[in-house]
Amino acid sequence: MSQLKRKRPDSNSVADSLTEHERVVYDAIRSKQEMGISQRDLKREINLLDKLASKSLKSLQDKNLVRLVPNFQSKGMKHYIAAEFNPSTEITGGAWYTDGSLDSDFIGVLKATCLKFVPNLKVATLEGFVEAVKKSRVSQVELSKKQIEELVESLVCDNELMKVKSTGIGEFASIPVGKVCYKRIDKGNRVSGTMASIPCGVCPQISICTPDGIVSPKTCVYYNTWLDF
Amino acid sequence: MASQYGLKYAVHIITSHFGNLVAKVCECLLRKGPLTLHNLIRFTELTPLQVKNSLLVLIQHNCVQAFIEESGVGDGAKLNTQYIALFNNIIHRSRFSKFLAIVSKELGEECLKLFEGLLQHGRLTLAQIVDRAISSTKGSDIAPGAIRETFLKLLGSHFVERCPAPEPVLSPPNQELPSSAKRGSKSAKLQKIETETLEQRVSEEAAPSEAMRFLLTTDAESNVDGGKDENDSSSSLVGEKRKYDALELDKEGEATNERVILWRANFEEFIRRLRHKACIEHVRHLGNGAVIVLSAMLEATRSAENKVKIDASAPLSLNSIYEEVIKNDAGRNMTFDRVRSSLIELGCPPLVKAFNDSYIIDFKAIIDLAQNDEVESIVLKRYGQEAYKMFRALSQAGHLLETDKIAEQTFYEKKDTPKVLYKLWKEEYLHMEKLQITGARQSQLLLWKVNKKNLWEHVLDEMFHAALNLSLRLAHELEKEKELLNPPQSRDRIIRVRLVLESAQIKLDDAIMLFHDF
Repeated sequence: MSQLKRKRPDSNSVADSLTEHERVVYDAIRSKQEMGISQRDLKREINLLDKLASKSLKSLQDKNLVRLVPNFQSKGMKHYIAAEFNPSTEITGGAWYTDGSLDSDFIGVLKATCLKFVPNLKVATLEGFVEAVKKSRVSQVELSKKQIEELVESLVCDNELMKVKSTGIGEFASIPVGKVCYKRIDKGNRVSGTMASIPCGVCPQISICTPDGIVSPKTCVYYNTWLDF
Repeated sequence: MASQYGLKYAVHIITSHFGNLVAKVCECLLRKGPLTLHNLIRFTELTPLQVKNSLLVLIQHNCVQAFIEESGVGDGAKLNTQYIALFNNIIHRSRFSKFLAIVSKELGEECLKLFEGLLQHGRLTLAQIVDRAISSTKGSDIAPGAIRETFLKLLGSHFVERCPAPEPVLSPPNQELPSSAKRGSKSAKLQKIETETLEQRVSEEAAPSEAMRFLLTTDAESNVDGGKDENDSSSSLVGEKRKYDALELDKEGEATNERVILWRANFEEFIRRLRHKACIEHVRHLGNGAVIVLSAMLEATRSAENKVKIDASAPLSLNSIYEEVIKNDAGRNMTFDRVRSSLIELGCPPLVKAFNDSYIIDFKAIIDLAQNDEVESIVLKRYGQEAYKMFRALSQAGHLLETDKIAEQTFYEKKDTPKVLYKLWKEEYLHMEKLQITGARQSQLLLWKVNKKNLWEHVLDEMFHAALNLSLRLAHELEKEKELLNPPQSRDRIIRVRLVLESAQIKLDDAIMLFHDF
């Protein structure tokens, strides 16, 4: 087993092989532990000449003492971490991020799994969703209850689910009264908005439209398309 | 005070119904608030006769109400008669077709004809209504008694009411606000609130008492009635079959009243019914059972509603709901259990609330949901899926949220989130606050929120704008059609254009009512 483990740099031997500048840079990065530090903040902190700092960083990387990790907050910025630490979720963004980018495909599949679990107008609890995701084996890593809650809450924002409290009767018979549940919204029967179905409702120019102005209902291009029979 | 485009739309309606002169007087009243005749002449720069005639037209059609404001101090000017435009009644003019459809569906052709006359003329005495009906039937034998009976049906359904007092005296408002608050920057805002309530106050003051409002019969009648109507102890048996032979004996007394008391359409009742209809439409996605049960509950509690914008209905027990459900054909198929399970469905989300073995319709919850849906659908169509999700996240949170938090909740790239939010903010769909953080590193956080009150007003104004545009475009299309020497295919086109625009007008008006009247 011990052979499989990543070889950890021996701090004693490291100390000897580092130049004075490299040592300053290395200590600054290492002190941040799993949070790491961005290049900009690092340079401000160690107060070294730009050129020297960059050179030291490069050599530390070559020696496998520090590494670059993607920061999901600001992808363009270089973020360093001492090689012995794994980056915190505050840097990687957690389960929803791969290489600093939002993993939309993965999220999409999980969302679909959750929705499949509640057919039209049926209700489910958070625990139900957790179980359903686990059983589906869509995710290779185990997702926490909080992460599933984030998923389900985003489905509420998508207007796919509705947050309701159990009344303890009917479809809620098996759920304790007052517990928060999620009800699937049946979109098939819903009437879409009235305002959104006419040109003015979606018009980007409505604020400058006047009866006799340059943009006017008499000459409106959106109306022309709408009434083009 | 109505919004900018609300006023423009109202003036447009008056212009197309009564011409420019009347519209000018009406616009002046709408923009400046209540005015005396003297000031109205001064501001409109029309001749006194023109203003007077315009006012008469507007009063006849229930668009203006005169009143006298009684002032506590000896201020002579305030004792003059003032005129106030009734914005709501003006907008109601665009929904006459809906009112007519309700009367026709509920009471049939005869009532429809009488009611149509009332809408055309604004206010009429019963004598005028009878005369009109007789002259319109041309020769065919129609007894005045039958017309009165038809009228009673309208009265019984509260579709018609007595006209308000011509010139009520308004006592000074209760000075509850501290006098210091009236000064300074707040004064403009306060004034706005005052004018808003003034229209209501005047209308309330002018309205006949509830007892008189739907009462046709008079003292003279009940005195002479004796012989044949002796079983009818109450003289206000509206809607019930009455024996009109008695009227023969009573011609004189009755006749005077028939020529004096003015009647008009009771818009409030129609708006109430349309509000109920909107509620039913909004639960339609829950299935037939929910629709039948809610309709029955509305029917059973309607008479207990004393104003349009009530938050909740009167409570009903399960038994009385069932009794009401089986009154109509569709409901007769429903078992007791099915009614119960429909009520459970209506209770999640709580549109109908159960407590103490009885059920209440939560109108406010239904209307709120419908309003949210309407605004969200605009956001979706205008700004796209991502904006829609963010808007919903903020709307449901109900408080300020930071940009990153919104991105996390909606699973959207953090760096792209501000762009979407900014677009919504720019067009007044979101409220934004900047938060400066001073620490090791200075940074600025952006916080966002849906300010429903302001946004709803903004959306309503856009709806009035859209309604005005539909109407202007329709007029423009019809005008264009007249100018051309038309080939037959262009006639087909105008028929379709008209159909599309008019049905859009009707639907848009439903949405306007949702935000303005319900």
